[in-house]
Amino acid sequence: MSSSSPEKTLAEPSSSSVLSYLPGGATLSGWNNSFQSWRSSLGLPAPGTAEHLQKEVKATLLQNMFFDGARADLSKSLSMNPVFQVTHSFALGSQTAPPSYNFGALFANEAIFMQGGMDDGGNLTMRYNQGWGGNHVSKIQSQISSQPGHSMIQLEHDYQGADYSINVKSLNPSPLDGTGIYVGSYLQSLTKNLALGFESFLQRADPTAPSELNSQFMAKYTSTDRNWIATAQLQPSGILSATYWQKLSEKVDVAADLQVLAMPDRRDAVATLGAKYDLRFSTFRAQLDSSGKVSALLEQRFAPTFAFLVSGEIDHFKNAAKVGVGVMIESSSLTPEELGMAPMPGGGMPMPPQ
Amino acid sequence: MPSEETRERIIKAIDLGRTVLHYGWIPFIIYIGYTRSNPQPSLIKLISPLA
Repeated sequence: MSSSSPEKTLAEPSSSSVLSYLPGGATLSGWNNSFQSWRSSLGLPAPGTAEHLQKEVKATLLQNMFFDGARADLSKSLSMNPVFQVTHSFALGSQTAPPSYNFGALFANEAIFMQGGMDDGGNLTMRYNQGWGGNHVSKIQSQISSQPGHSMIQLEHDYQGADYSINVKSLNPSPLDGTGIYVGSYLQSLTKNLALGFESFLQRADPTAPSELNSQFMAKYTSTDRNWIATAQLQPSGILSATYWQKLSEKVDVAADLQVLAMPDRRDAVATLGAKYDLRFSTFRAQLDSSGKVSALLEQRFAPTFAFLVSGEIDHFKNAAKVGVGVMIESSSLTPEELGMAPMPGGGMPMPPQ
Repeated sequence: MPSEETRERIIKAIDLGRTVLHYGWIPFIIYIGYTRSNPQPSLIKLISPLA
Protein backbone atom coordinates (compact mmCIF):
# COMPACT_ATOMS: atom_id res chain seq x y z
CA MET A 1 0.00 0.00 0.00
CA SER A 2 1.41 3.37 -0.95
CA SER A 3 0.05 4.58 2.31
CA SER A 4 2.63 7.13 3.36
CA SER A 5 0.33 10.09 3.51
CA PRO A 6 1.40 13.45 2.03
CA GLU A 7 2.36 15.05 5.32
CA LYS A 8 4.48 12.06 6.21
CA THR A 9 6.52 12.35 3.03
CA LEU A 10 6.84 16.04 3.76
CA ALA A 11 7.94 15.38 7.31
CA GLU A 12 10.62 12.87 6.46
CA PRO A 13 13.19 15.16 4.82
CA SER A 14 12.97 17.64 7.69
CA SER A 15 13.51 14.96 10.32
CA SER A 16 16.47 13.56 8.43
CA SER A 17 17.96 17.04 8.09
CA VAL A 18 17.65 17.57 11.83
CA LEU A 19 19.19 14.20 12.49
CA SER A 20 22.08 14.83 10.13
CA TYR A 21 23.39 17.53 12.49
CA LEU A 22 23.79 15.01 15.28
CA PRO A 23 26.79 12.74 15.51
CA GLY A 24 25.79 9.45 13.97
CA GLY A 25 22.58 11.12 12.83
CA ALA A 26 22.91 9.96 9.25
CA THR A 27 22.76 6.36 10.42
CA LEU A 28 19.78 7.18 12.60
CA SER A 29 17.93 8.86 9.77
CA GLY A 30 18.81 5.92 7.52
CA TRP A 31 17.32 3.61 10.10
CA ASN A 32 14.33 5.84 10.42
CA ASN A 33 13.77 5.85 6.67
CA SER A 34 14.14 2.10 6.36
CA PHE A 35 11.83 1.67 9.37
CA GLN A 36 9.24 3.89 7.71
CA SER A 37 9.46 2.10 4.39
CA TRP A 38 9.33 -1.29 6.12
CA ARG A 39 6.27 -0.09 8.03
CA SER A 40 4.48 1.12 4.93
CA SER A 41 5.42 -2.09 3.10
CA LEU A 42 3.36 -4.00 5.66
CA GLY A 43 0.26 -2.32 4.28
CA LEU A 44 -1.45 -2.08 7.64
CA PRO A 45 -4.97 -0.69 7.54
CA ALA A 46 -6.17 2.28 9.56
CA PRO A 47 -7.45 0.93 12.86
CA GLY A 48 -10.20 3.48 13.41
CA THR A 49 -10.19 5.54 16.55
CA ALA A 50 -10.20 4.42 20.17
CA GLU A 51 -13.42 6.30 20.79
CA HIS A 52 -15.17 4.50 17.94
CA LEU A 53 -13.81 1.07 18.77
CA GLN A 54 -17.34 -0.26 19.20
CA LYS A 55 -18.94 1.92 16.55
CA GLU A 56 -20.54 -0.91 14.56
CA VAL A 57 -21.97 -2.52 17.68
CA LYS A 58 -23.40 0.75 18.89
CA ALA A 59 -25.04 1.35 15.53
CA THR A 60 -26.64 -2.10 15.62
CA LEU A 61 -27.87 -2.15 19.20
CA LEU A 62 -30.60 0.29 20.09
CA GLN A 63 -29.47 1.40 23.55
CA ASN A 64 -28.46 4.81 22.30
CA MET A 65 -31.53 5.30 20.14
CA PHE A 66 -34.22 4.11 22.48
CA PHE A 67 -36.77 6.64 23.65
CA ASP A 68 -40.13 6.49 25.35
CA GLY A 69 -43.12 8.77 25.31
CA ALA A 70 -43.79 10.86 22.23
CA ARG A 71 -41.42 12.96 20.27
CA ALA A 72 -41.34 14.98 17.12
CA ASP A 73 -38.31 16.24 15.26
CA LEU A 74 -38.84 18.89 12.66
CA SER A 75 -35.71 19.61 10.77
CA LYS A 76 -35.28 22.10 8.04
CA SER A 77 -32.46 22.10 5.55
CA LEU A 78 -31.75 25.59 4.43
CA SER A 79 -28.68 24.85 2.39
CA MET A 80 -26.90 21.73 1.22
CA ASN A 81 -23.47 23.06 0.43
CA PRO A 82 -22.44 24.17 2.99
CA VAL A 83 -24.86 22.20 5.13
CA PHE A 84 -27.06 24.48 7.17
CA GLN A 85 -30.09 23.23 9.02
CA VAL A 86 -32.22 24.06 11.99
CA THR A 87 -34.20 21.56 14.04
CA HIS A 88 -37.05 21.82 16.48
CA SER A 89 -37.44 18.79 18.74
CA PHE A 90 -40.35 18.19 21.05
CA ALA A 91 -40.57 15.37 23.57
CA LEU A 92 -43.24 14.58 26.10
CA GLY A 93 -44.73 11.77 28.12
CA SER A 94 -41.46 10.07 28.92
CA GLN A 95 -41.18 8.11 32.16
CA THR A 96 -37.66 9.26 32.77
CA ALA A 97 -37.44 12.80 31.44
CA PRO A 98 -39.73 15.83 31.75
CA PRO A 99 -41.35 17.25 28.62
CA SER A 100 -38.86 19.29 26.69
CA TYR A 101 -38.30 21.42 23.66
CA ASN A 102 -34.96 21.75 21.97
CA PHE A 103 -33.88 24.11 19.25
CA GLY A 104 -30.83 23.13 17.28
CA ALA A 105 -28.73 24.68 14.57
CA LEU A 106 -26.05 23.03 12.49
CA PHE A 107 -23.54 24.33 10.02
CA ALA A 108 -20.90 22.27 8.27
CA ASN A 109 -18.54 22.65 5.38
CA GLU A 110 -15.42 20.68 4.40
CA ALA A 111 -13.37 21.87 7.34
CA ILE A 112 -15.78 23.07 9.98
CA PHE A 113 -18.63 21.43 11.82
CA MET A 114 -20.64 23.56 14.23
CA GLN A 115 -23.66 22.40 16.11
CA GLY A 116 -25.63 23.91 18.93
CA GLY A 117 -28.77 23.03 20.82
CA MET A 118 -30.67 25.00 23.41
CA ASP A 119 -33.43 23.41 25.48
CA ASP A 120 -36.34 25.04 27.22
CA GLY A 121 -34.39 25.18 30.47
CA GLY A 122 -31.78 27.37 28.83
CA ASN A 123 -29.07 24.72 28.72
CA LEU A 124 -26.75 24.83 25.77
CA THR A 125 -24.98 21.86 24.26
CA MET A 126 -22.43 22.68 21.62
CA ARG A 127 -19.90 21.00 19.39
CA TYR A 128 -17.27 22.50 17.22
CA ASN A 129 -14.96 20.44 15.04
CA GLN A 130 -12.19 21.96 13.02
CA GLY A 131 -10.39 19.88 10.43
CA TRP A 132 -6.87 21.07 9.70
CA GLY A 133 -6.26 18.88 6.66
CA GLY A 134 -3.92 15.92 6.80
CA ASN A 135 -6.11 13.92 9.21
CA HIS A 136 -5.85 16.37 12.10
CA VAL A 137 -9.15 17.31 13.73
CA SER A 138 -9.64 19.49 16.79
CA LYS A 139 -12.90 19.25 18.66
CA ILE A 140 -14.59 21.30 21.34
CA GLN A 141 -17.63 19.94 23.05
CA SER A 142 -19.42 21.73 25.82
CA GLN A 143 -22.55 21.84 27.92
CA ILE A 144 -23.39 25.10 29.57
CA SER A 145 -26.11 25.40 32.12
CA SER A 146 -27.26 28.39 34.12
CA GLN A 147 -27.10 26.25 37.25
CA PRO A 148 -23.61 26.31 38.70
CA GLY A 149 -21.72 23.05 38.58
CA HIS A 150 -23.55 21.58 35.61
CA SER A 151 -21.33 22.96 32.90
CA MET A 152 -18.58 21.02 31.24
CA ILE A 153 -16.16 21.51 28.41
CA GLN A 154 -14.06 19.00 26.56
CA LEU A 155 -11.16 19.92 24.33
CA GLU A 156 -9.94 17.20 22.04
CA HIS A 157 -7.48 16.59 19.27
CA ASP A 158 -7.48 13.65 16.91
CA TYR A 159 -4.82 12.45 14.54
CA GLN A 160 -5.20 9.49 12.26
CA GLY A 161 -2.03 8.14 10.74
CA ALA A 162 -1.80 5.49 8.08
CA ASP A 163 -1.87 2.60 10.54
CA TYR A 164 -2.46 4.25 13.89
CA SER A 165 -4.60 6.86 15.58
CA ILE A 166 -3.93 9.20 18.45
CA ASN A 167 -6.39 11.15 20.51
CA VAL A 168 -5.79 13.52 23.39
CA LYS A 169 -8.50 15.27 25.32
CA SER A 170 -9.05 17.21 28.47
CA LEU A 171 -12.27 17.54 30.40
CA ASN A 172 -12.92 20.70 32.39
CA PRO A 173 -9.27 21.74 32.41
CA SER A 174 -8.62 24.59 34.79
CA PRO A 175 -5.89 27.00 33.68
CA LEU A 176 -5.47 28.12 37.29
CA ASP A 177 -4.59 24.99 39.23
CA GLY A 178 -4.36 22.31 36.55
CA THR A 179 -7.30 20.30 37.81
CA GLY A 180 -9.40 18.32 35.38
CA ILE A 181 -9.35 15.00 33.59
CA TYR A 182 -6.82 14.39 30.87
CA VAL A 183 -7.14 11.43 28.53
CA GLY A 184 -4.74 10.13 25.93
CA SER A 185 -5.30 7.16 23.67
CA TYR A 186 -3.31 5.35 21.03
CA LEU A 187 -4.48 2.60 18.73
CA GLN A 188 -2.11 0.80 16.40
CA SER A 189 -2.69 -1.86 13.72
CA LEU A 190 -0.27 -4.70 14.33
CA THR A 191 -1.37 -7.01 11.54
CA LYS A 192 -3.96 -6.65 8.81
CA ASN A 193 -6.55 -7.93 11.26
CA LEU A 194 -5.45 -7.02 14.74
CA ALA A 195 -5.17 -3.60 16.35
CA LEU A 196 -4.10 -2.98 19.92
CA GLY A 197 -4.26 0.19 21.92
CA PHE A 198 -4.49 1.81 25.29
CA GLU A 199 -6.21 4.75 26.85
CA SER A 200 -4.91 6.52 29.95
CA PHE A 201 -6.88 8.81 32.24
CA LEU A 202 -5.15 11.30 34.46
CA GLN A 203 -7.52 12.70 37.02
CA ARG A 204 -6.68 15.70 39.17
CA ALA A 205 -9.69 16.62 41.24
CA ASP A 206 -7.83 18.68 43.79
CA PRO A 207 -4.63 20.68 43.22
CA THR A 208 -3.21 19.52 46.56
CA ALA A 209 -4.03 15.83 46.17
CA PRO A 210 -1.87 13.62 43.99
CA SER A 211 -3.34 12.92 40.59
CA GLU A 212 -4.69 9.52 39.74
CA LEU A 213 -3.64 7.65 36.62
CA ASN A 214 -5.79 4.85 35.22
CA SER A 215 -5.37 2.97 32.00
CA GLN A 216 -7.43 0.66 29.93
CA PHE A 217 -6.34 -1.64 27.16
CA MET A 218 -8.10 -2.28 23.90
CA ALA A 219 -7.97 -4.91 21.22
CA LYS A 220 -9.85 -5.06 17.96
CA TYR A 221 -9.87 -7.96 15.55
CA THR A 222 -11.34 -7.39 12.13
CA SER A 223 -11.86 -10.33 9.79
CA THR A 224 -10.02 -10.30 6.49
CA ASP A 225 -13.20 -9.68 4.50
CA ARG A 226 -14.26 -6.97 7.03
CA ASN A 227 -17.51 -8.81 7.71
CA TRP A 228 -17.03 -9.29 11.40
CA ILE A 229 -15.31 -7.40 14.16
CA ALA A 230 -14.52 -8.47 17.70
CA THR A 231 -13.34 -5.98 20.30
CA ALA A 232 -12.31 -6.14 23.92
CA GLN A 233 -11.63 -3.38 26.42
CA LEU A 234 -10.12 -4.14 29.79
CA GLN A 235 -9.63 -1.86 32.75
CA PRO A 236 -7.26 -3.35 35.30
CA SER A 237 -9.64 -2.27 38.09
CA GLY A 238 -11.92 -5.04 36.87
CA ILE A 239 -14.14 -3.87 34.06
CA LEU A 240 -14.22 -5.88 30.87
CA SER A 241 -16.26 -5.03 27.82
CA ALA A 242 -16.28 -7.43 24.92
CA THR A 243 -18.27 -7.05 21.72
CA TYR A 244 -18.82 -8.93 18.53
CA TRP A 245 -20.40 -7.60 15.37
CA GLN A 246 -21.15 -9.42 12.15
CA LYS A 247 -22.69 -8.43 8.88
CA LEU A 248 -24.79 -11.42 7.93
CA SER A 249 -25.99 -10.02 4.63
CA GLU A 250 -26.44 -6.69 2.89
CA LYS A 251 -29.45 -6.00 5.07
CA VAL A 252 -28.83 -7.76 8.35
CA ASP A 253 -26.26 -6.92 11.04
CA VAL A 254 -26.04 -8.71 14.36
CA ALA A 255 -24.14 -7.65 17.45
CA ALA A 256 -23.39 -9.04 20.87
CA ASP A 257 -22.05 -7.14 23.82
CA LEU A 258 -20.81 -8.39 27.16
CA GLN A 259 -20.03 -6.08 30.09
CA VAL A 260 -18.39 -7.65 33.11
CA LEU A 261 -17.73 -5.81 36.35
CA ALA A 262 -15.52 -7.81 38.67
CA MET A 263 -14.48 -5.50 41.47
CA PRO A 264 -13.84 -6.73 45.02
CA ASP A 265 -17.03 -5.11 46.31
CA ARG A 266 -19.24 -5.48 43.28
CA ARG A 267 -19.73 -8.17 40.70
CA ASP A 268 -22.07 -7.82 37.82
CA ALA A 269 -22.41 -8.80 34.19
CA VAL A 270 -24.80 -7.95 31.40
CA ALA A 271 -24.93 -9.55 28.00
CA THR A 272 -26.85 -8.03 25.12
CA LEU A 273 -27.74 -9.55 21.80
CA GLY A 274 -29.21 -7.50 19.00
CA ALA A 275 -29.99 -7.43 15.31
CA LYS A 276 -30.58 -4.68 12.80
CA TYR A 277 -32.50 -5.06 9.57
CA ASP A 278 -32.03 -2.38 6.94
CA LEU A 279 -35.00 -2.68 4.66
CA ARG A 280 -35.75 -0.48 1.74
CA PHE A 281 -37.86 2.08 3.55
CA SER A 282 -37.35 1.10 7.12
CA THR A 283 -34.84 0.10 9.73
CA PHE A 284 -35.76 -2.39 12.40
CA ARG A 285 -33.68 -3.07 15.48
CA ALA A 286 -34.40 -5.69 18.11
CA GLN A 287 -32.42 -6.69 21.13
CA LEU A 288 -32.49 -8.93 24.14
CA ASP A 289 -30.36 -8.63 27.23
CA SER A 290 -29.59 -10.73 30.25
CA SER A 291 -31.27 -8.29 32.65
CA GLY A 292 -34.57 -9.43 31.17
CA LYS A 293 -35.22 -6.58 28.77
CA VAL A 294 -36.55 -7.09 25.29
CA SER A 295 -36.69 -4.01 23.13
CA ALA A 296 -37.33 -3.04 19.56
CA LEU A 297 -37.25 0.08 17.45
CA LEU A 298 -38.83 0.51 14.06
CA GLU A 299 -38.00 3.46 11.88
CA GLN A 300 -40.34 3.58 8.92
CA ARG A 301 -39.77 6.11 6.20
CA PHE A 302 -43.03 6.83 4.38
CA ALA A 303 -41.56 9.52 2.20
CA PRO A 304 -38.05 10.94 1.91
CA THR A 305 -39.08 13.72 4.24
CA PHE A 306 -41.31 11.86 6.67
CA ALA A 307 -40.32 9.07 9.03
CA PHE A 308 -42.31 7.39 11.74
CA LEU A 309 -40.69 5.72 14.75
CA VAL A 310 -42.08 3.20 17.19
CA SER A 311 -40.09 1.85 20.08
CA GLY A 312 -40.95 -0.54 22.85
CA GLU A 313 -39.25 -2.18 25.75
CA ILE A 314 -40.45 -4.85 28.15
CA ASP A 315 -38.53 -5.52 31.32
CA HIS A 316 -39.56 -9.06 32.25
CA PHE A 317 -37.80 -9.10 35.61
CA LYS A 318 -39.25 -5.82 36.85
CA ASN A 319 -42.53 -6.26 35.04
CA ALA A 320 -42.32 -2.85 33.45
CA ALA A 321 -42.82 -1.63 29.92
CA LYS A 322 -42.05 1.48 27.94
CA VAL A 323 -43.48 2.57 24.64
CA GLY A 324 -42.47 5.45 22.42
CA VAL A 325 -43.75 6.94 19.21
CA GLY A 326 -42.10 9.62 17.19
CA VAL A 327 -42.21 11.45 13.91
CA MET A 328 -39.36 12.99 12.00
CA ILE A 329 -40.29 15.56 9.45
CA GLU A 330 -37.79 17.20 7.20
CA SER A 331 -38.73 20.18 5.20
CA SER A 332 -36.57 22.00 2.81
CA SER A 333 -36.79 25.43 1.38
CA LEU A 334 -34.84 24.21 -1.60
CA THR A 335 -36.18 22.86 -4.85
CA PRO A 336 -34.91 19.45 -6.01
CA GLU A 337 -32.68 21.16 -8.56
CA GLU A 338 -31.07 23.24 -5.86
CA LEU A 339 -30.54 20.11 -3.83
CA GLY A 340 -28.46 18.86 -6.72
CA MET A 341 -30.93 16.02 -7.29
CA ALA A 342 -29.09 14.03 -4.67
CA PRO A 343 -31.02 13.98 -1.45
CA MET A 344 -28.95 12.38 1.25
CA PRO A 345 -29.57 8.66 1.52
CA GLY A 346 -31.77 8.15 4.53
CA GLY A 347 -31.89 11.90 5.03
CA GLY A 348 -29.91 11.52 8.24
CA MET A 349 -27.83 14.08 9.98
CA PRO A 350 -24.53 14.79 8.28
CA MET A 351 -21.69 13.27 10.24
CA PRO A 352 -19.05 15.50 11.78
CA PRO A 353 -15.60 15.10 10.28
CA GLN A 354 -14.15 12.12 12.10
CA MET B 1 1.66 30.40 40.74
CA PRO B 2 -0.13 33.49 39.40
CA SER B 3 -0.84 36.32 41.80
CA GLU B 4 -4.22 36.80 43.45
CA GLU B 5 -5.10 39.62 41.07
CA THR B 6 -4.29 37.59 37.96
CA ARG B 7 -6.27 34.67 39.28
CA GLU B 8 -9.31 36.85 39.73
CA ARG B 9 -8.89 38.26 36.27
CA ILE B 10 -8.65 34.76 34.77
CA ILE B 11 -11.76 33.62 36.65
CA LYS B 12 -13.65 36.68 35.43
CA ALA B 13 -12.51 36.09 31.86
CA ILE B 14 -13.63 32.44 32.00
CA ASP B 15 -17.02 33.46 33.37
CA LEU B 16 -17.44 36.07 30.67
CA GLY B 17 -16.40 33.58 27.99
CA ARG B 18 -18.89 31.05 29.28
CA THR B 19 -21.73 33.59 29.24
CA VAL B 20 -20.84 34.70 25.73
CA LEU B 21 -20.73 31.09 24.54
CA HIS B 22 -23.97 30.25 26.32
CA TYR B 23 -26.05 32.95 24.69
CA GLY B 24 -24.01 33.65 21.58
CA TRP B 25 -23.25 30.24 20.12
CA ILE B 26 -26.58 29.51 18.43
CA PRO B 27 -27.01 33.07 17.09
CA PHE B 28 -23.45 32.76 15.80
CA ILE B 29 -24.21 29.50 13.94
CA ILE B 30 -27.38 31.01 12.52
CA TYR B 31 -25.52 34.12 11.41
CA ILE B 32 -22.74 32.09 9.75
CA GLY B 33 -25.25 29.73 8.17
CA TYR B 34 -27.48 32.55 7.00
CA THR B 35 -24.67 34.51 5.39
CA ARG B 36 -22.83 31.54 3.86
CA SER B 37 -25.86 29.58 2.64
CA ASN B 38 -26.39 29.18 -1.02
CA PRO B 39 -29.07 30.30 -1.87
CA GLN B 40 -29.72 32.59 1.05
CA PRO B 41 -32.89 31.55 2.90
CA SER B 42 -35.54 33.98 4.07
CA LEU B 43 -35.59 34.89 7.75
CA ILE B 44 -39.11 33.61 8.46
CA LYS B 45 -38.20 30.16 7.16
CA LEU B 46 -35.25 30.15 9.49
CA ILE B 47 -37.16 30.60 12.71
CA SER B 48 -40.67 29.24 12.27
CA PRO B 49 -41.10 25.47 12.50
CA LEU B 50 -44.06 25.54 10.12
CA ALA B 51 -43.09 27.86 7.27
